[in-house]
Amino acid sequence: MSASQNETIIAEGVKMDGDFVSQGHVVIDGDVTGSVQTSQSLRVGETAKIHADISAGSAVIAGEVEGNVRVVDRLDITETAMIHGDVETQVLSVAAGAQLNGRVTMNQSNQSNAEASEAD
Amino acid sequence: MRRRQKLIKINMYYYIYDEFIQDKRYEKELIRIENRLADLGITGKISRLALFRDPTEMIADEVSRGVSTVVAVGNDQTVRKIIDVVADQNVIFGLIPLGTPNNLAKLLGLPEGVPACDILSARSIETIDLGSVNGRRFISGLSVPNFSAEITYDGKFKIEPARPGTLEIRNLAGAEISRETLADPRDGLFETTIRVGLKKGWNFFKKQKYGESLLTSRRLAIRSREPISLIADGEEMIDKRFDIRMNPQPLQVITSRRRMF
Repeated sequence: MSASQNETIIAEGVKMDGDFVSQGHVVIDGDVTGSVQTSQSLRVGETAKIHADISAGSAVIAGEVEGNVRVVDRLDITETAMIHGDVETQVLSVAAGAQLNGRVTMNQSNQSNAEASEAD
Repeated sequence: MRRRQKLIKINMYYYIYDEFIQDKRYEKELIRIENRLADLGITGKISRLALFRDPTEMIADEVSRGVSTVVAVGNDQTVRKIIDVVADQNVIFGLIPLGTPNNLAKLLGLPEGVPACDILSARSIETIDLGSVNGRRFISGLSVPNFSAEITYDGKFKIEPARPGTLEIRNLAGAEISRETLADPRDGLFETTIRVGLKKGWNFFKKQKYGESLLTSRRLAIRSREPISLIADGEEMIDKRFDIRMNPQPLQVITSRRRMF
């Protein structure tokens, strides 16, 4: 295991480089290069600058992301967000003013099919 | 009729007095402590630390004679002097706090002087993690007051502050910075906090804001271009490289119900 069971905070004023894997909630307000992966929630603050592929259970993005974003559940992109990369999620919310440059893939149907087959 | 034999395990105690408690001002308190230990039936051999006396051999000899509990009588520095040996010998560690600073005693819920004897006798034992920095054990934590180096977490990612800040690595210690939570010394993880001052902008009189990063890990490596000062359980170490890891062998320590974890 490489990170927290609870909460990890990468605050403004620090630079992180490498592959970050967590089982807990993650908050990023600083600079990140590499990859970010968490099974829980991820919050990317307004001051964050991320050059990394992101994978999370759910996410709120308010800062800059250069990389692909893959979210299992719900992704909220706020008006201050700038995303350059492909987005894959089940539920998507994009606020007016947000910049999203990339391909968007919604997985809800796949999930529903999977749930239906499980129910059978 | 077959005689039933009951095996009773006797806990042999070994007391290590720090050099400073031989000072006259501790004389009366020490007599009271020794009397209380006798009342409780937990007396044991006493050794005194001295400048050129190596505690390694002293403790190893007593452990080979059957000592199961080593008790430090003194302060945080006393613990620092003997913790490596105690950890290597796999014995139960006790503390009778005398003098200052005694932050570890507070965290373990141990009162100063005579009342600590009763807690020792009650033998409420907790198993806690021990950290090591460049091979030296520590219980509470580490701090770097002027931190501008690179820190690697579990060999997987690196963090560097954009401006000099402060670094705290906690095993048992509480937060000297702003968080009120106490690191759990039983979770096998270090809790690290990096605090960096943020740019104020144009307003010079604006209150300084800080960014506080919080991460956990089992293994850390600090690399600096210049020698930096790191405080380990109150003792200063100066180096360019610090390798910090969880000690594979935890420490069994006598605590009270008033412990802070």
